[in-house]
Amino acid sequence: MSRSLKKGPFVDEKLYRKVEKSQSSARRTPIKTWRRACTVVPEFVGATFQVHNGRGFTEVFITEDMVGHKLGEFAPTRVFKGHTNKKEGIDGGTKAPA
Amino acid sequence: MPRIAGVDIPEKKKVLFSLQYIHGIGPKVAASILAKTGIDGDRRTHTLTPDELTSISKEIDERYVVEGALRRQVQQDIQRLKDIHCYRGERHRKGLPARGQRTRTNARTRKGRKKTVAGKKGVKG
Repeated sequence: MSRSLKKGPFVDEKLYRKVEKSQSSARRTPIKTWRRACTVVPEFVGATFQVHNGRGFTEVFITEDMVGHKLGEFAPTRVFKGHTNKKEGIDGGTKAPA
Repeated sequence: MPRIAGVDIPEKKKVLFSLQYIHGIGPKVAASILAKTGIDGDRRTHTLTPDELTSISKEIDERYVVEGALRRQVQQDIQRLKDIHCYRGERHRKGLPARGQRTRTNARTRKGRKKTVAGKKGVKG
């Protein structure tokens, strides 16, 4: 179900203020954030975030096309390195062979 | 056979149904086009006069995106998701479902025919 329009987009206020401050300053440093659920609003375009993915930070440069998405959509939380090859038995499998 | 919206050639069926042979026109849109143009959907398509045909194509041209234009639009939307490297875009790239469905089982529409893995639990031999 999509979010009620009445509420408007969820934008973390603290983060928003931080972005405003950095947009007005000349030197733009990446903004570290854990707010994956925060919606990207037009004011964010051109900013760089470091979005937490549960382990480290993924650098995300905001372009116009990203408006309306959430920050978390750009910082994948899972790493898929492919399935193990049973015949070879190598390929970085974590489970012990049955 | 009448031609509407470019290449589409519906036939001896009732107008309401032959319109649905156009990509982008389903039951709802077909009904609303007929209501707007004042044509009875139960009539067979071959009984339509040239005037009625033009009024239908005009209505489609003005208010709906169909066929090639629609396919292109959908492709562009997917391409945009891929370009911004968001989660949904990555799912499209990998050919997996993009709306949070389970992939442990099922998801065969996106994943294609089953690829049997030897020695996997539940598979004999």
